[in-house]
Amino acid sequence: MDLYLPIAEVSVNAPLLVALGALVGFISGVFGIGGGFLMAPVLVFMGVPPTVAVASQANHVVASSASSVVTYSRMKAVDWRMGGIMAGGGMVGAVLGVEIFRILRLLGQADLVVAVSYLLFLGVIGSLMLVESLQAVLRRRRGEPPRRLKVRHPKWLYGLPFRMRFPRSRLYISVLPPIGLGVAVGVLSAIMGVGGGFILVPAMVYLLRMRASVVVGTSLFQIIVTTAVTTVLQAGRNQTVDILLSGLLLFGGVVGAQLGARASNRFRPDSLRAVLALIVLLVGLQMGLGLFVPPADPFAFAAGMGR
Amino acid sequence: MIAPAALPPAPPAAVSTPSRPGPGDAVVSAALTETRVEVTSGYHGARIVLYGAVFNPSTRPTDVVVVVRGPERPIRLVRKLRVAGVWLNSRPVVFEGAPGFYMTASTRPLPEIAGFGVLRRAGIGVDHLRIEAPEERHTVTRYGIRDVVVSRLGADYLDWRRAVIRLMEKSDLYKADTNGVRYVDRNLFRADVDLPTEAPTGRYETEVWLFQDGRPVSVKVRPLTVAKVGIERRIYDFAHVAPWLYGLLCVGLALVSGWIASALFRRS
Repeated sequence: MDLYLPIAEVSVNAPLLVALGALVGFISGVFGIGGGFLMAPVLVFMGVPPTVAVASQANHVVASSASSVVTYSRMKAVDWRMGGIMAGGGMVGAVLGVEIFRILRLLGQADLVVAVSYLLFLGVIGSLMLVESLQAVLRRRRGEPPRRLKVRHPKWLYGLPFRMRFPRSRLYISVLPPIGLGVAVGVLSAIMGVGGGFILVPAMVYLLRMRASVVVGTSLFQIIVTTAVTTVLQAGRNQTVDILLSGLLLFGGVVGAQLGARASNRFRPDSLRAVLALIVLLVGLQMGLGLFVPPADPFAFAAGMGR
Repeated sequence: MIAPAALPPAPPAAVSTPSRPGPGDAVVSAALTETRVEVTSGYHGARIVLYGAVFNPSTRPTDVVVVVRGPERPIRLVRKLRVAGVWLNSRPVVFEGAPGFYMTASTRPLPEIAGFGVLRRAGIGVDHLRIEAPEERHTVTRYGIRDVVVSRLGADYLDWRRAVIRLMEKSDLYKADTNGVRYVDRNLFRADVDLPTEAPTGRYETEVWLFQDGRPVSVKVRPLTVAKVGIERRIYDFAHVAPWLYGLLCVGLALVSGWIASALFRRS
């Protein structure tokens, strides 16, 4: 059944979009990521203009994240205080990022920056996570105890001013690193058109040393705030949010996210991280390697104005 | 680099009335089966049929050319350049004057119907569209002649212009059918206008040209409107009239549906 999208101005297969939303929602629920970095390339492949794809999927991420956060909060696996502080930084970052992206689009360099960001961030984070999680899996197989971090209280985390207690995360750290992380992720999420979960999750585990059990729920909460701001900004400034497109995606997405949040209990966290690392690495390579492939046509329409 | 550009001379208005019809000249008459295409939620492109008749008092043969022109919008084009092994985008160039949809249907290939100059003046055929990059144009004094128009794109200008047309043809938005005009009866012809889903909304113009002995003797212009209707129209208008409210509504919808889903799943 085909449906004409009023903002994207293309006709798409509605059941296929619902299925895509469900699949990405499931992955989002399991790993605590928004899943935007998976969905955008698929939507563009289906003929949706990239600007509309990025803006409308942000709204889908709001829905699927909200759906799983409610489930995680019942399991007391959301650190609202930490999430709120990072979300505050994330909002500032998103506003900055949307402006940066607008300027890049005018210069015609948005494609390049997006591709390089994907290659760099997804590639580096994916490889690091893969190595770490595989080591953890191996250690568990051999029956060795999990490796302890050498420095339990790194100076940059505990030496900075404005310390605050985060009971859920069992941390008593400065608020500056979480705010900084929020701003950085906000900028990146606006530029790459994603929620930023694939950066947040490892950063919360390895940099902020948060308890693994609250990482996913807290990351999803932060993602809701960032993507909600992005959606409103994209709709208000660029009129690129297609409510029908995001409606179809989130219809599948909320159900998928529920199934994902439940399924996540059945897997071991280190194996989950290994699979996520692999997905992140593959998408990063696939996007980034496009830079090295000779284009079929030396000319291309630039995204933005007009077509 | 600045080089004298091969800027094609700008022809006059798109539809120039044909040279005064002589006493024995043929006359064309035409109508579209639909003058308004409604874009609804099931929209999947549209086919409109154009019917026309030729009244030819003489025995001299005639040729019919149908031109369909969609609303214009600026196009931004980049060129891929290889820098240190990596393919990068050049600075974008804005082209103006390119219709969002352009189709010609004719009884014979265009060059057999009329000469280059005639087609250019009438703006018939993709090669004769007035697609230009005005921002790249500036005037210089060269060989003592003032106000020579050159383009910053230099000698590559024609490559850029051809690329606009090639990319539009690839998206099925520019078409040329050299036997798109078919006679269904002795003087009655028809031409099919196929609008792809991607064709822009707005006002279209359909020109039906009649050529005799290589010159245009008669032309009829028929307007065509492509417009969103119903829910499609309401959403589009809402998103453009009150964009911030629309954004908030989208987010609200997402939050509520996320919450409903988790509430439903909790019960089951």
